[in-house]
Amino acid sequence: MGLRIVCPNCGERSYTEFWFGGELPPPVREGETLEEEFERVWLKRNVAGLQAERWFHHAGCRRWLTLERDTVTNEILRD
Amino acid sequence: MTEWIQFEGREIGVEPGDTVASALYRAGVRVFSRSFKYHRPRGLYCLTGDCPNCLMTVDGEPAVPACVTPAEGVGRVARENAWPSADHDALGLLWRLRFLLPVGFYYKALVRPRSAWPRVEPWVRRVAGIGRVPLDLWPAEREARHHHPDLFVAGGGAAGLAAALAAAQSGQTVVLADEGRIGEKLPPGPTRTRVEELVAAVRAQASVTVLERAPAVGVYEGPLVPVAGEDFLHVVHPARVVVATGAVERHAAFPGNDLPGVWLGRGAARLAGAHGLRLGGRIVHVGEPGESLEAIRAARGEVAAVRGEVVEARGRKRVKSAVVESDGGRKTIPCDALVLSLGLEPRAGLLRMAAGLPVAGAGDVVAPGCSLEEAETMGRDAALGDMSGGQAPGHVPPAARGGFVCLCEDVEARDLAAAWDEGFRSTELLKRYTTATMGPCQGALCEAHVRAFVRERAGEGEASAATTARPPVRPLRLEDAAAGARHPVEQRTALHERHLELGATMEWAGAWRRPETYGDVLAEYWAVRRDVSIMDVSTLGKFLVAGPDAAAFLERLYPCHVADLAEGRLRYALVLNEAGYVLDDGVVCPLGGGRWYVTFTSGGADGAEAWLRDWAETFGHEVRIVNETHARGAINVTGPKARELLARLSDDHLTNEAFPYLRHRAITVRGVPCLALRMGFTGELSYELHHARSESLSLWDALLEAGHDLGLVPHGLEALRLLRLEKGHILVGQDTDFDSTPAKLGMAWAARLDKTDFVGKRALERMAPIPLAQKLVGLRFDGEGAPPEGTPLAAGGRHAGHLTSSRHSPALRCSVALGWLRAADGEFPERVEAGGRPGAVVPTPFYDHVGARLRA
Repeated sequence: MGLRIVCPNCGERSYTEFWFGGELPPPVREGETLEEEFERVWLKRNVAGLQAERWFHHAGCRRWLTLERDTVTNEILRD
Repeated sequence: MTEWIQFEGREIGVEPGDTVASALYRAGVRVFSRSFKYHRPRGLYCLTGDCPNCLMTVDGEPAVPACVTPAEGVGRVARENAWPSADHDALGLLWRLRFLLPVGFYYKALVRPRSAWPRVEPWVRRVAGIGRVPLDLWPAEREARHHHPDLFVAGGGAAGLAAALAAAQSGQTVVLADEGRIGEKLPPGPTRTRVEELVAAVRAQASVTVLERAPAVGVYEGPLVPVAGEDFLHVVHPARVVVATGAVERHAAFPGNDLPGVWLGRGAARLAGAHGLRLGGRIVHVGEPGESLEAIRAARGEVAAVRGEVVEARGRKRVKSAVVESDGGRKTIPCDALVLSLGLEPRAGLLRMAAGLPVAGAGDVVAPGCSLEEAETMGRDAALGDMSGGQAPGHVPPAARGGFVCLCEDVEARDLAAAWDEGFRSTELLKRYTTATMGPCQGALCEAHVRAFVRERAGEGEASAATTARPPVRPLRLEDAAAGARHPVEQRTALHERHLELGATMEWAGAWRRPETYGDVLAEYWAVRRDVSIMDVSTLGKFLVAGPDAAAFLERLYPCHVADLAEGRLRYALVLNEAGYVLDDGVVCPLGGGRWYVTFTSGGADGAEAWLRDWAETFGHEVRIVNETHARGAINVTGPKARELLARLSDDHLTNEAFPYLRHRAITVRGVPCLALRMGFTGELSYELHHARSESLSLWDALLEAGHDLGLVPHGLEALRLLRLEKGHILVGQDTDFDSTPAKLGMAWAARLDKTDFVGKRALERMAPIPLAQKLVGLRFDGEGAPPEGTPLAAGGRHAGHLTSSRHSPALRCSVALGWLRAADGEFPERVEAGGRPGAVVPTPFYDHVGARLRA
């Protein structure tokens, strides 16, 4: 079974149906400074542990979803 | 019926049940390869596919283990890495010069002068290694098949079969893979009988898939296990893995241990027992008497069974005598075969790469030499969730006193000692410095010896821990490594059959099949430049964006102005990421009523959809995005006579005044409603007709028929690549890199920094003051024949970039190219050389610089 992801549209599927979209960046704010923008775009936290991240269901509904995954154990906790 | 193998100019007969190795051995072949570094003669040794000694070129494929390859159906076999022949290899001289080639010599010798290494390197590369990759062979395309079982079991011995059976009986789905046919290696006896019972019970379970001649080549995170089957690369995504890959007879290290005539017990037993072949006239058997000794005794030959420690094997091209030390003292025994039954070492490669994953071992791989009952119990326990089945191999052999520790890489015991003295004092450091355990066997034979060596000096601990093994644990074909790289779903446009009827050669373009040419690229090219042509561009990414925020969304998304576009106009648009790098390009058309039609490239459409949807969510805009890529067809009508052709099929106003360049109109062509886009990728007057996919055939046929007397010839991708290059239009992915900004591509005009915002604006603003270190430029070369794409550029004797696109231009009668040019001392060169051909940096477009033809 390996890593399985529950897509809210399609149900539980293999992770191979998804593209990994990276960790969820902080929200884009109106009027953020250059430094804030730089941190948001370039400085990833790369945590060993629980991480909110984006996945795109390219072989299914072709929609994005956000989930929380433990990057050490691959255990997925949905938000 | 007799089969024959062609072996280096000889014909060799094959008997039923033969492997390539046993057939060659029967015909008198004793030297099966020459070693990696010293070109030592090597003979059959393990016969279980674990050692490198019988890696041969079989039907053009290098590094095939001959001892586990059935001879049936094999045509041609040759030995590797020898000159002029493996029997008489002149490079065997290297063994005598070994004092010049100490461990790691290539790190230390030939460093000064700096010019030495480049001169010697090609020679070293020719001399060292195993086999040659045949560059003229086009590899077979291999498809990947995915499995998602609860349990994957590697190995079809007693432990593996018991695991599969127990899992299936408890309701789990199972995939079990064995590298051979299950049971084929076992001599008749109780083990074989039990394995046959178990395999029958396993096959009776519908929830078990059994793969044979299918080695598991690695365990990756996921877990994910690639299995190189005969027909497919099986990609297994199990919840848990049981490794039951058994054990290898222990490799022994002593001087002369690599001579032909020295055998591992199971190998000797297999050759004598299964193939009925004679090992020699005087056989010395050292170690535990057991099944091996019985099998050897059954074959002809005088066998002396000896207990004790082998100190040395003597001989030059094969073993002549063995020196054995026992309680009775040291004895030299003349022999022509020396068989070693010194115990078992786990075949633990898969376990040694699976740290931290839900993977358990069972049977000989964790408890070498365990009984049949113990193996089955371990298998059942592992299958039912006991993941404690030991990951680290336990015991170690006696530390090596001499000889070859690693047969694959020609690493001797003294090499380990030398490396130790230089300060490489752990298994992982020794591995990297000496390359022991890094050869084709991935440590199957030598890993325990490296551990024993360190343990003797540093004791038990981190320094002497087992090294991490790396995939593949078995030789893997390149086509298997690439299996599934091709998208398994083949996408076809509605016109696919028409293209084939017109004689098109089809090529892959992403997941799409597209016509490369209909047979005459030049005729297709000239039809566009002089008359009129059509092309199936249904593969373009096509999206409808609608909703209250659609205009605001696209304005904030694209680097060009969008909101000011009046209905009926269209604009070329780059797709950027937040870092300001170009991901794709396409067109934006306002359809009116808050609806927008946006297109992307054929290859970029999938990623572009993710990009659109990601930003729509990120901005929180209320928009609806409909992917019409597969719902709509598109045909580009292009050439000076394009308007004349369309006028024959349409009553709509097509004059330049009514329908100018960079506009779109809804028109009807022979009854087919089309959204027509006036653009100019080819550089000529063009109408891109987007329409319902169901109407593609009738539209195509109508255009083809009506254009016949105008000289219409449809064109394929190859003509298009030439046409667009003459216009200097980029192909994203071919001319761009992962860090291509609009400015580097000479397209700063397409990113309007005067806009309030767009994706990537901040990054481009940051980069704007930095002088460009490289840029994409147009290049012109005189004379026939364009320098090939990828050719490095030189200027003033220095590297100055490379070509990304190049073609001979029939219209301009010279070669034109796009390429990346590097600045030297802040200046971009004006003249360059590509493969010795002088060229000039020139502005683009090369053809019709002012764009009069596409506005005509």
